[in-house]
Amino acid sequence: MSAREVRLSADSLAVDRGKRRVLSDVSLELFAGEALVVVGPNAAGKSTLVRALAGLLEPAAGEVRLCGRALESWPRDARARLLALATSEEEGPDALRVVDRVALGRYPHRGPFQALGEADHAAVARALEQTGITPLAERRLGTLSAGERQLATLARGLAQEPRVLLLDEPAAHLDIGHQLQLFRTLDEVRRGGVAVLAVVHDLARAAQWAERMLLVAGGRITAEGAPALVLGSDAASRAFGVRIRSHAIPTLPQPHFTFEEAP
Amino acid sequence: MTSRPSRLVVPALAGALFLSLLLATAAGSVPLSFPGVVEALLAKLGLPGDASALGATGETILFTVRLPRVLLAALVGGGLAVVGAVLQAVFRNPLADSGLLGVGAGAALGAVLAVHLGLASAVFFALPLAAFAGALAAVLAVYFIAGASGRASLHGLLLTGIAVSALAGALTSVLLVATEEFRVKTVLFWLAGGLDGRGWTHVQAAAAFVLSGVALLALLGRPIDVLSLGEDEAASLGLPVRATRLSLLGLAALVAGASTAVAGSVPFVGLMAPHALRPLVGPLSRRLLPAAFLGGATLVVLADLGTRTLSARFELPLGALTACVGAPYFLLALRANEGRG
Repeated sequence: MSAREVRLSADSLAVDRGKRRVLSDVSLELFAGEALVVVGPNAAGKSTLVRALAGLLEPAAGEVRLCGRALESWPRDARARLLALATSEEEGPDALRVVDRVALGRYPHRGPFQALGEADHAAVARALEQTGITPLAERRLGTLSAGERQLATLARGLAQEPRVLLLDEPAAHLDIGHQLQLFRTLDEVRRGGVAVLAVVHDLARAAQWAERMLLVAGGRITAEGAPALVLGSDAASRAFGVRIRSHAIPTLPQPHFTFEEAP
Repeated sequence: MTSRPSRLVVPALAGALFLSLLLATAAGSVPLSFPGVVEALLAKLGLPGDASALGATGETILFTVRLPRVLLAALVGGGLAVVGAVLQAVFRNPLADSGLLGVGAGAALGAVLAVHLGLASAVFFALPLAAFAGALAAVLAVYFIAGASGRASLHGLLLTGIAVSALAGALTSVLLVATEEFRVKTVLFWLAGGLDGRGWTHVQAAAAFVLSGVALLALLGRPIDVLSLGEDEAASLGLPVRATRLSLLGLAALVAGASTAVAGSVPFVGLMAPHALRPLVGPLSRRLLPAAFLGGATLVVLADLGTRTLSARFELPLGALTACVGAPYFLLALRANEGRG
C-alpha cells in the first residue's frame, strides 16, 4: 500500500439546493493517511461539500469516487464500512447511553439482525478509549455537555473502522483541552492509514493540524496547498474579508497567524 | 453491560400484566372467585384443575365475556404502546403518538362512513374493517402528501398529519349530522372507545394484525435505533432511510389501525407507556419494545377494569378514562421536556 493511494476523490462536482447552485466545479483528492482541512467563511459551501462527499447529497454534475469506484455504485453497507461521517449536529435520543450510541457505529458491519460479536465490542471500546470518553460510557446522552456529545459522535465514527473519515466542525463545542485531545486522536487515526478530511472553523488550529488546506468560498475551491500558503494568499484575505499575517516564531515548527479586520 | 435494576423491569412488568389479567378476569359486575378462575383456566388448558369450580354461569361469564375482553384489552394496549415507542424513535420526539399520523381521525371517518351507509348493522365486522381501512388511508395520505415535494421531512409529516386529521374530522362531523339518529349511538359508543360486547372473533382479528405487526416491528429494532440518530447519521451508517421509514409507518398504521378498529379511540396509551419506561430501560428497541408492550397491555387491562367497576350504574368509556389519566401526564411531560431544552 503506497502512502499516496487515493481514497476519496471528487471530479468537477456540483451540487444544487433547489434551483440554486451551492457548490460548483469542485475537484479534489484525499490520500490514505492524509489530514486535509477545509476552511472558508460562513455559507461558503463547506458543509455541503462534506455531505456530498459522504453521499448524502446527490451531485448535480460531476462525481465522487471512493477507493477508486463511483460512490453511488457501492452498496450502502459496504460504503458505510469504508466511509464515516461525524457532524456537530447530532440528535441522538437523550436517554441513550454513550456505549450504546457508539455501538450503533457497528451497524454497517453487522446489519439489522446479526448480534454484535467480540470484534465489535473491541472496536467500541477502542473508539471510546481514543476519544477519551471511556469514563462516560454508561452515562446517558442527555446528561452530557455539547462537547462530550460531540466526542461520542466522533467515537461512533471511529467504531465504524472506516478508511475515510469526514468531519464537519468536530471541534465546534470543545474547550481547548478537548480540542487538543481531538486533534491528537485524529493524528493517531491518520497514522493508522485513515484518510481524514475535516471542516474546521478555527483557522489557526486548522493550519497547525493539517498537512494540506482547501479554501472554499462562494461554492468553489479558491485556494489549495500547504496551510501557510493558503492562509497567506490573497484568496484567503478576500474570502474572509480580513487581513491575515503570518509570524515565524523560532520555537514553533509552524508560523503563527494573526487576523485583523480589513480597513 | 446493563445495570441490574433495569434488567428486572421486563420480568416485573410481565408479572404485573399476569396479575392484572387475572384480577380483571375475576372482578366485574358479577365477581368470580379468584381461585375458581385459576382452577377453571387450568382445566381449560388441560392442566390439573377443577373445571366446574365456578359453576355453569360463572364459566359462561369467564369464557365468553371476561376472558376475550381482557385479552383484547391487553392486545390493544400492547399494540398501541409499541407503535408509540416506534413513532417516538422515528420522529425523534419523545411525545409522539399514533394520533400524529391521522390514525384516530382516519379510523373514525371510516367507522362513521360504515354506520352512515348502514353497512355496520348489515354486515358483521363492517365497522372495524371500515375503521381499519380509514386508518390506513389516512396514514398513506399523510405519507404521500408530505412526500410529494420530493423527500418527506419530519416537520412536513407532522403538519400534514394535523391537516389530514382536521379534514377527516370535518368529514366525520358532516356525516354524523347527516346520519339517522338511531345509528349515531353506535358510532358514538365506538368513538368513545370501549371493549363492551367484544368476543373471540374480535380477539382473533386483533391478534392476527397486532401480534404480527408487533413481531415485525421488533425484528426491525436495530434499524429503528439507527433511525433515531437522525436522517443524515442513519444514511451515513448505510440505512436506506426512506424505505425503512415507510415500512415502519406502514406497520405502525397496521397495528394502531387494528387496535382502533376493535376498541375505538384509546388515546394516550401509546404516549404514556413508552415515555414512562424509557428512563428505566433506555431507548434501545430490543429493550424498550417488549417493556412498552407489557406496560401498555397492563395499563389498558386495568383501565378497562376501571370502566367496569368504578361506576355501579353504567360503564365508563375506556377512551375517556385513558384520556383522563393521559392528558395530565402529557402536560406534565411536556413541561418537563420544555424545562430541560
